[in-house]
Amino acid sequence: MTWDITGMAAIANIGASPEEIFAALCAGQESRTPLKAFDPEKYRAAYAYEIDDRPAGGDIPRRATRWLTTVVRQAAADAGLGEDLSQIPVLVGTTMREQRSLELWWRDGVDVALEDLHFGTALKAAFGASTTYTFANACSATLYALGLATDMIEAGTADTVVVAGTDAATESGFGTLDRVQNGIPDALRPFDATHKGMLMGEGAAAVVVQRAGTGNGPVHARVRGVGMNCDAHHATAPDPDGITRAVLDAHRRAGVRARDIDLVMLHGSGTPLNDAAEAGVLRRIFDGAGSGPRMTAIKAMTGHTLGGSGLLSLVMAVLAMKEGTVPPVLGLTEPIPEAAGLGLVRGVPAAGPLAIAQIDAFGFGGINAVAIVEAAR
Amino acid sequence: MSTTSIARRRIPNVREVVVTSIGLALPGVATYGDLLGPLPGAGGFDVATGLSGRELRHKDRASRLALRAAESALHDAGLTDDAAAFTGAADETAVVVSTNLGNADSVCEAAATIAGAGVRALSPLGLPQTSSNVTAGWVAIRYGLRGPNLTVCNGATSGLDALAWARNLVVAGRAEAAVVVGVEPANDVATKLLGRQSTDVAVAVVLEPAHAAASRGARPRATIAGYARAPDLSGALAAAGVAQEESVGLWLGDEAEAGARRLLAATRHIDLEAQLGPLSGALGILQCAAAAAHFESGATGRVLATAGGHGHDAAAALLLTP
Repeated sequence: MTWDITGMAAIANIGASPEEIFAALCAGQESRTPLKAFDPEKYRAAYAYEIDDRPAGGDIPRRATRWLTTVVRQAAADAGLGEDLSQIPVLVGTTMREQRSLELWWRDGVDVALEDLHFGTALKAAFGASTTYTFANACSATLYALGLATDMIEAGTADTVVVAGTDAATESGFGTLDRVQNGIPDALRPFDATHKGMLMGEGAAAVVVQRAGTGNGPVHARVRGVGMNCDAHHATAPDPDGITRAVLDAHRRAGVRARDIDLVMLHGSGTPLNDAAEAGVLRRIFDGAGSGPRMTAIKAMTGHTLGGSGLLSLVMAVLAMKEGTVPPVLGLTEPIPEAAGLGLVRGVPAAGPLAIAQIDAFGFGGINAVAIVEAAR
Repeated sequence: MSTTSIARRRIPNVREVVVTSIGLALPGVATYGDLLGPLPGAGGFDVATGLSGRELRHKDRASRLALRAAESALHDAGLTDDAAAFTGAADETAVVVSTNLGNADSVCEAAATIAGAGVRALSPLGLPQTSSNVTAGWVAIRYGLRGPNLTVCNGATSGLDALAWARNLVVAGRAEAAVVVGVEPANDVATKLLGRQSTDVAVAVVLEPAHAAASRGARPRATIAGYARAPDLSGALAAAGVAQEESVGLWLGDEAEAGARRLLAATRHIDLEAQLGPLSGALGILQCAAAAAHFESGATGRVLATAGGHGHDAAAALLLTP
């Protein structure tokens, strides 16, 4: 069984549509900016990958919600669904929910209600949607949600599901990460020997997933399968065994072998622990799979967009397959030893036919989700 | 009308999913049988003594409460040994947590600390609870549960939604069992956000396919028979497969929900939040525990649990049978 992706939308620091973001990734210009969202005096890290849409003079609540409703509207329009989603489930993956609003409420007295913390409230107001779910599944949230959407369609409870994700940077998250990272990263440099850690980005992404052949418009790509699991190992550090099981589960569900994969969108969070674990796992999985797939890591330019990052990688994979082009990993000059032999794209975009992509997303709590998507021809 | 009713579009050979155990960490409620009232009763979880211990150190309050409830549920299910280690199929066991306020205190405290003294004043041990899924991670780690791990933060209906998603994971074959936890901690942030005194509550249930429970000799306490999330209560009832003309043995839901009593007849009605205080993301799981108490008491009729509705983004209904 496969599922059609018939609508896509995304917003990030480097663009307000999938096409803009993809073009920026291919152009490969440095995208980090000095930290503006929070008082830089309070932090060690000096850079982030923010969406620069705050008004002058301070932060405002519900930015993550606004991005979410924007990308859901755009993805629904792309699929020809219109703005009435009363009959369509909307599954939202997020790391932080509206915790940034909660911080502003607690510390500055900004008006925020309990009902604003989850996204059903805004989806009801904007689209009349009521079968809405907010899954706080850390940085694998949107690929988890994608897997749950395919389960719903397979079970016969829906033919069309909107899957989306959104996150705004929180002071508690950005600050605690800043506190614990050993080095202070100036930029997010996945798989490069100079990588020092993760820096947050902000963004949202949405796709419309439909039972095969039931949509009205063109099919962008097809979901072949989504694997999901938990390391049950460590609260914040990744576990190679858990990641391996998630990748193999995704391959099994999709009915593909390692040598069938043409492109891997890496989780690539730029932390030494993640990069070593992910690279080591992929070396073993793709060992003997011919020349191996091309690989790229978009967080080098978007920062870590948290819950929505998996879906943003997926949307970029779809465009990469359409264009036959893989954007490079910005700033990757000397790969870490664990990544030796992997087909990491460096310097300029790589051209070539791409039929099947693997997308990785790993999160705190040791939760992993891996999606396999094939080009629509 | 919801498109996600599981009763209306039931597919053949769908795996029947049953509740096989219940664990509580709830002041004033000693066992789930007490949920039939009057509440609160004597005894129950003592937060002064129950939230300490080596394995709870450095964890947020919601995770400590949840670990106590999960410990009790897994013991009750016969899925832990004398050393409290998990003995079930760890790779195939899911964890699903429902919470709305679980890490709200951690988030607000960190933001306030940074404003006062910068990031150097933060504890590095606070990193996990900056993410809303912290509790599901700790439960999985404590018992080595490597199946799907899901945190549902979905407002008033969150607990009922979590039960439905846990059931979906089992029906889809992604898990052979699921530990479903509803948890909310009491603290100043929660009290201010709720607009009334917050309560410490954690409740855990284990879901399994009926055939798996039968083959290992586990006693089913309740069966999940229908679920829907819809714009309002009447829509949720219809989509969950509850006809207006029929009567249920027990209705667990909000007394004040406008016009609720006109929607269908119930032999008995219990409003857990009216007796125990705000339960938020834990409500639906606690309603599931009360349903099991109803069936265990020998009372007849199906049990309907409802949440949300007026003043919320949706209403949800969960139908349970013996």
